[in-house]
Amino acid sequence: MVQPISPPNPGRRKFLSYATSFLGLIGAAFVAVPFLSAFKPSARAEAAGAPVQVDISSIGSGEMMVVEWRGKPVFVVKISDNSIKLLSQVDPKLADPLLETPFQPEYAKNEFRSRKEGIAVITGVCSHLGCSPKYYPEAGSTDFDPDWQGGFFCPCHGSKFDLLGRVYAGVPAPTNMEVPPHYFSKENILVIGSDGVS
Amino acid sequence: MKLLFIILFFSSLSFSAEGNFNCGTIECDSFSADTTDLASLQSGLTTYMNNCYGCHSLKYSRYNRVAKDLEIPIEIYQENLIFDGSKPGELMNISLNEKDAVEWIGAKPPDLTLEARIRKPEWIYTYLRTYYPDASRPYGVNNKVYQNVSMPNVLEDLQLNLSAAEFDKVIYDLTNFLVYVADPSANERKRIGVYVLLFLLLFTSFAYLTYREFKKELK
Amino acid sequence: MAANEKNSGGIVNWFDTRFPITDLLERHLSKYPAPTNLNFWYLFGFLMIVVLAMQILTGLWLMMNYTNTAEEAFSSVEYIMRDVEYGWLLRYMHAAGASAFFALIYLHMFRGMMYGSYRKPRELIWVGGWVTYVLLCAEGFTGYVLPWGQMSFWAAQVIISLLGSIPIIGEDLATWIRGDYLISGITLSRLFAFHVVLLPIMIIAVVFFHILALHEIGSNNPDGIDIKKHVDKDGVPLDSKPFYPYDITHDIYALGVFLLIFCSVVFFFPEGGGYVLEYVNFEPANPLSTPAHIVPSWYFTPFYAMLRAVDFSLFGFTAKFLGFVTMAAGIAIFAALPWLDRSPVKSIRYKGILSKVFLAGFVVSFFVLGYLGAVPPSDLKNLLAKVFTVVYFSYFLLMPIYTRLEKCKPVPERAPGH
Repeated sequence: MVQPISPPNPGRRKFLSYATSFLGLIGAAFVAVPFLSAFKPSARAEAAGAPVQVDISSIGSGEMMVVEWRGKPVFVVKISDNSIKLLSQVDPKLADPLLETPFQPEYAKNEFRSRKEGIAVITGVCSHLGCSPKYYPEAGSTDFDPDWQGGFFCPCHGSKFDLLGRVYAGVPAPTNMEVPPHYFSKENILVIGSDGVS
Repeated sequence: MKLLFIILFFSSLSFSAEGNFNCGTIECDSFSADTTDLASLQSGLTTYMNNCYGCHSLKYSRYNRVAKDLEIPIEIYQENLIFDGSKPGELMNISLNEKDAVEWIGAKPPDLTLEARIRKPEWIYTYLRTYYPDASRPYGVNNKVYQNVSMPNVLEDLQLNLSAAEFDKVIYDLTNFLVYVADPSANERKRIGVYVLLFLLLFTSFAYLTYREFKKELK
Repeated sequence: MAANEKNSGGIVNWFDTRFPITDLLERHLSKYPAPTNLNFWYLFGFLMIVVLAMQILTGLWLMMNYTNTAEEAFSSVEYIMRDVEYGWLLRYMHAAGASAFFALIYLHMFRGMMYGSYRKPRELIWVGGWVTYVLLCAEGFTGYVLPWGQMSFWAAQVIISLLGSIPIIGEDLATWIRGDYLISGITLSRLFAFHVVLLPIMIIAVVFFHILALHEIGSNNPDGIDIKKHVDKDGVPLDSKPFYPYDITHDIYALGVFLLIFCSVVFFFPEGGGYVLEYVNFEPANPLSTPAHIVPSWYFTPFYAMLRAVDFSLFGFTAKFLGFVTMAAGIAIFAALPWLDRSPVKSIRYKGILSKVFLAGFVVSFFVLGYLGAVPPSDLKNLLAKVFTVVYFSYFLLMPIYTRLEKCKPVPERAPGH
């Protein structure tokens, strides 16, 4: 091994070593950017997840339409006048009837949980383990509830929701079902996936 | 010995590849793309959508990407440049029936997304400007660059109604747009590239100084 | 056991008593004794490690978005180029990385040829490097097919058809490799599997062997002297310096220069004038129409020129088969170098005039053949290709003769300027 002479200028040597190492680390951080960015949803995924437009004029009173948005079912329900009256009656049975948890956009934090009274727009995914609850609109006695007021029942673990997607107390699901961003571009044209210009 | 190798190396380099992109029967007119000229790209896009898009898709590109890159508000874009009710995020595909196309024109009109990378821009620029009357051809026209071309002279009306300079500008913009759409990341790439090279220059300078500092110890 | 525990405690020590990581790193990296007289020709190995890592990373990311079917492959590449954020950068890096890898390996090989790095006791290191090169050729070829453009398709067609020229079994072999009667999605799928799994694993394994063997034997140097003849009291060669910090600082500086060149290509000339990404390959594969001008990637053109140069049949073998054999021999013959060189000295610095003339002839023929393989053939060019194919092979085949005939200069005992 050759015997190196002692560094002629140790301070300079140290400074340059650290500066080069520091720049190298910055460079490595820059290199990470494209690799991390490439994991974001691509333009194709964004296009597939773009807002969807539906004409809701064909939905009859008390009926539900299922719309797919970003691979999830979105329930669009026209709540019958009769059921609207019953809604306030279920309040005592619910975990969060006043919508204090943020599972709806700000504009849907109202008594009809939507932009328009009588039209419920709910992401049809149970807040428990992700099953899609079934629609049981009729009030009356059912297998799972002798005093059912109409709403959604999850077949997986028996969670119950009312027609606005609000969760019952004492069921496995912890929170209300989500309300996706939505707005009406025309009287009967519902856009799901965008807050619109409001 | 070293010198010999260096000479050999550089003399070998001078055998660079031949440019074989001359334009059919004639020499190409010169063309210099400028994909930062948004006005030109927007005009080229409009010409394309109104005259070419009926037959030639841009199926690897998306409407909203073009709108974003060319800084056209998406509502205006959707209203004026999307004719078939496609969503802004969709690929620029057309509904031309391939069989019909072959029957009418005799060939399937190719997708043009990458045309400016396959052929050179100067080829496209020259080609679109060199149609001439030829009674022996089905559409009564022929082309100096692409002999016996099966495409009719779609831009004939423009060619007749505009001055030569105005028409050249229309074709310049159209070609410029095709250059953009063939490689839409080019502007961003060059912009980032400048910073990358500046950073590397700094890094290499420091790495060189460090190397030299350590080398002193071995003397 | 306690005696083995070094004075400091801690995690490093815990590991070292179970797996001597410090010792391993010291022997292969920080304290590896590199000869004092190494010059810039000794940078390319380090740079190739960096490029290999980059190819693996970018390749992994490309693979996440690429679709290996004949219907989808081409559009999935454009999907990467347009829809995936920074996908264009990953793809341009991978494409330019392939060209860079070949440029570096050719320089690296030439270094070994100049300084006799293949000579005893480094024959296995050389052969290991040559295997890496052959694997890299396969990796380059399979990768080239994946975008499924016109050049991809026709390159696969030509290369696999070559196998068909082998007497008796050829046609069946070609069909077997294709898995079909034509180049199809089936062929694409298997080439994809080779490109992303089998070949990278083999390359990494052989490179690992190559470096391990080198570090056991020690690096050669531009003077071809054996630095292990003169050692200090610790058994470390006198004419050596520790890799860290003296070589690593040099290598990092070189990496900066390399990246400047590499990034200039990636960001400003990603097509590399048609050499990194061929213009014709932006057209989707069309089995019914061959491009007017078909050439392989630039790094294969010297061998492609040899293939074309052989246009005569001989001894009942077809020209096609002989061309294939010539091309394969052009690549294979590097492996025989350690046994062809009979010179008493290693480095070109001390070899006689004949070695210098033949080495120069080799370099010229490599470049000229590389040029001829990239341009359309003509009678004159074909003649030139024949002449330079002969020059190319004469460097190897006449080596046992001219290395013994010539008069060599005496090799110094110690590295110059010690």
